[in-house]
Amino acid sequence: MLTSHCTMLSELLQGNDSGGFLVIQDSCRYSGRDLLRSFISSALDREEVVHVLCFESSEEELKDGLRAPGLQRLHFHNAYSDPLGWMDHSAFTVDKFSFEELTHLVKQSPHSRPATLVIDSLTWILRHVSPPAVCKTLQQLKKGGAVRAVAALLHADMHQRGTVGSVCHLATSVITVSPGIKGDEALAKITKRSKSGKVLQDEEIFSIKEDLTVTIQNKPSHLGHKQADPEEQQTDPTANLTFNLRLSDTEREAKEKLALPFMFSKEKKTALLHPNQGSGRILYEPDANDDFDQEDPDDDLDV
Amino acid sequence: MFTELNSILNSTPDSFTQGEFILLSDRQSDASFLIHHFLSFYLRARCKVCFLGLVQSFSHYSAVSQRLGVSLTQAKEKGQLVFFEGLKESLSILIPQEGNTESQAMDFLRDPAVGLRSLYEFVVSSVSGAGRAPEGPEEWGPPVLLVDDLSVLLSLGVAAGAVLDFSHYCRAAVCSQLQGNVVMLVRCGGDEEEDEGDDEGSAWLLRGLTHQCSLALHVQGLPTGYCRDIHGQVEVCWRRRRADGQHTQTKLFQYKVHDKGASFFARGTSSAVL
Repeated sequence: MLTSHCTMLSELLQGNDSGGFLVIQDSCRYSGRDLLRSFISSALDREEVVHVLCFESSEEELKDGLRAPGLQRLHFHNAYSDPLGWMDHSAFTVDKFSFEELTHLVKQSPHSRPATLVIDSLTWILRHVSPPAVCKTLQQLKKGGAVRAVAALLHADMHQRGTVGSVCHLATSVITVSPGIKGDEALAKITKRSKSGKVLQDEEIFSIKEDLTVTIQNKPSHLGHKQADPEEQQTDPTANLTFNLRLSDTEREAKEKLALPFMFSKEKKTALLHPNQGSGRILYEPDANDDFDQEDPDDDLDV
Repeated sequence: MFTELNSILNSTPDSFTQGEFILLSDRQSDASFLIHHFLSFYLRARCKVCFLGLVQSFSHYSAVSQRLGVSLTQAKEKGQLVFFEGLKESLSILIPQEGNTESQAMDFLRDPAVGLRSLYEFVVSSVSGAGRAPEGPEEWGPPVLLVDDLSVLLSLGVAAGAVLDFSHYCRAAVCSQLQGNVVMLVRCGGDEEEDEGDDEGSAWLLRGLTHQCSLALHVQGLPTGYCRDIHGQVEVCWRRRRADGQHTQTKLFQYKVHDKGASFFARGTSSAVL
């Protein structure tokens, strides 16, 4: 369902390898939930079984926009209406966030295939469960066989930097989203760790349509400021001049023929070396005043 | 009720989006005029309203609403409005008097560590009667919860995390389950830079609530300083996809509060400037 097929973002959404752990990091300036829902949508399109552990949005909000054929493979675990057990009829409370409980939960579904687990969001869990416990559970989920892959949303501006750092260290891929320049565009910074240990980083501009398809624009490095002001790029500074900047062929010929005053040609050289005889001569006859005696410099004084 | 704000938010008392969580916030400014707007708006829309007034007395809200053309006393008598007067309730807990039937809602004053579960239970009990009217012929529309304001709870010793839990539960019950609306005000003091590292303060609470809300109105003073004709600016941010398919969108307006209303205009188009 993705329009572009070779970018890192589409690769991540289209199907990560088993054992993968994707973190979508957002802030209150731009919500990453739509991207998470696009991930769910494309996972369902790939015929995968998806379990959603939902703390922050209701079932209706989450399912809005998802295509019907996949919905039977989507298992919604409601941790939204009563996450702390205040009302005594909760489906999932936050203290149940442990490897054993989650494995049990995922295995309850009739599908035998390993499922993809989506968590909306880790922030809710991290506010009530200590970060080391959360990290331990996530690590066990990555290694254990019940869950094929995990994708989670994290509001980075709600935690200390260390907590965000330790969660992101566990992740195989991190997508950090922030608002883009134009209306519905957003910027994604992607860090991907491959199994060999190689780390790839990239930045992409994307937008999400109503049916949750992700359109990836050109890379920001090619667009960047150019896109911000397309008029500037198009204007030609030599377009509307009051004078002529270009030469026609005849004009060029005439220009090349012209000898400039400082150029030293053969004619000039001979004219300087052999001046014409008899044209202008200086005649000089010395008079008495020119008879200057070196021995007596005061000879001309009447003393 | 300010008609200009209604047209900005594209809502009227006859037709408004249900299930919305509206967050009002201010920084070095006063957003309480918006609380009065929404209170009169939802009373006119014939909603069942639960108002948690933690900042002012009932007579204050009543006097302001009177100017906006809504009578709180009447609404209370008709059963449309449940008014929780935080100042009185807290007094009855701090200075227990005989014959005073104290409610459980402000239990957290005795021990802030228990959280706001009892306050939430009070909210649920007062809004769940919406739709049916047990003691009158009148029937009310979707329930609405208004809180003025959440920062008071922080001052009373409640942890910011507990306030977020409270707002989450209110959203789940009122917005999602009952298809009503929630309006909450939160105040931030000081500069933005000061609050950055603050882990449990009002700025952190504001960020947490922003993640929860569907519409945020943030009131600030003018960056250029005091002005007699422009009282400040409001940033309106739609955080959900709207019916017309538009994405997160932010608009900035300047405002002036009048005696009986407020006017909103685009930046630089104040009548004093043009």
